[in-house]
Amino acid sequence: MKKILVADDEEGIRILYKEELEEEGYEVKVAANGKETLELLNTFLPDLVILDIKMPDINGLDILQRIRTMFRDLPVILSSAYPEYQQNLATWASDAYVVKSSNLANLKAAVKKNLGA
Amino acid sequence: MPELRKDPIVGRWVIISTERGKRPTSFKMTERPAVAGGFCPLCPGNEDKTPPEVYALRRDGSKHDTPGWTLRVVSNKFPALVIEGSLKKQGEGMYDKMNGIGAHEVIIETPHHGGSLSQLDLKAFEDVLWAYRERIVDLEKDERFRYVLIFKNHGVEAGASLAHSHSQLIALPIIPKSVMEEMEGSKNYYKYKDRCVFCDIVHQELDDKIRVVVENDDFLAITPYASRSPFEIWLLPKKHSSSFVNISPAEYISLASIFQDVLSRIEVALDDPPYNFTLHTSPFNELINDYYHWHFEIIPTLSKIAGFEIGSGFYINPTPPEEAATFLKEIK
Repeated sequence: MKKILVADDEEGIRILYKEELEEEGYEVKVAANGKETLELLNTFLPDLVILDIKMPDINGLDILQRIRTMFRDLPVILSSAYPEYQQNLATWASDAYVVKSSNLANLKAAVKKNLGA
Repeated sequence: MPELRKDPIVGRWVIISTERGKRPTSFKMTERPAVAGGFCPLCPGNEDKTPPEVYALRRDGSKHDTPGWTLRVVSNKFPALVIEGSLKKQGEGMYDKMNGIGAHEVIIETPHHGGSLSQLDLKAFEDVLWAYRERIVDLEKDERFRYVLIFKNHGVEAGASLAHSHSQLIALPIIPKSVMEEMEGSKNYYKYKDRCVFCDIVHQELDDKIRVVVENDDFLAITPYASRSPFEIWLLPKKHSSSFVNISPAEYISLASIFQDVLSRIEVALDDPPYNFTLHTSPFNELINDYYHWHFEIIPTLSKIAGFEIGSGFYINPTPPEEAATFLKEIK
């Protein structure tokens, strides 16, 4: 079973993503901040990360930099409520950028594409 | 007493402080915000993290989308406008709309992460200018596009999000309003005087000398009479030329030389300030004409636009362009 780490400071998003992705057959763990994200990266060893950008302790783009230093080819999907971040070229270190929405079709498609499913 | 000065092309008014202006040291940045570091998607070896290249210079025969390039142009990975589709222009009641079609590309100017345009060797700088030309010529073939805007953001405060030196290009299905205003202003001046307004600026500035920063046989760098911002610089061809794509190979060398000189002077005088530059050239539907004159505008990000500027369209410039030119001229 492919493992997905969801990092988001909004509890509602963590619950929604976890439920929906588990229904799709993935094993999902969630992190509420940057520190938890970095810990789970090394203990959970996910196959894919869904990463929020605005988080309280460490900015998602900084976490992305750290992920790339540790796991160059680990698929990372940025998920943000702010489409303007797309113009930030630091997002290019990710594999996909999905604007948050109650409809998870785009997110699920990006997950499938990046897990090669 | 401050002066109100009028830009002769678009009629924009600027308030210039003619008393003792802010000197370069007044603008030196004490704290420099960090640009994202660490992993760089623009560096050689990370070509798989960018979209496929649409143009590259490879002198070692290396393959597409692999290391070995000296300059690389790729589409924006997460573009605001998309390249595929039709414009589908339509009305929505009294409003107009069309599909968000456009091309957004990133010109990676050097494979070296820490390099800046001013530090490139002259040939590499010339290559950047040629890349601008080649991409404009290619995108001009697409009938949906009316204009290609080339610009560079240098430094976080000027909008750069990666330290790796790059510029950007956006091909648009419409002519931007600011370009339209320049074209209309130039046409009106030509109708009235039968001369190109930019050619007149070049002649007058060469006579007056007080706003000339540097010149060579083909180009002139000036701080414009109605500068919007401290240390604003325009880089103009001395002889009339309406389109950037039509200049000669020798002129590209000459342009690279003066452009690099100007950027170095700004960096030394203002301690590597954030800046933006934009290429202003004729739209595709009127490439060759007698009234418009392509040029680059370089604007260091030294002042903030606030309510007055937004509400009035006026700019307040605390450094008279004559003083800025004197400072920059003295830089060796």
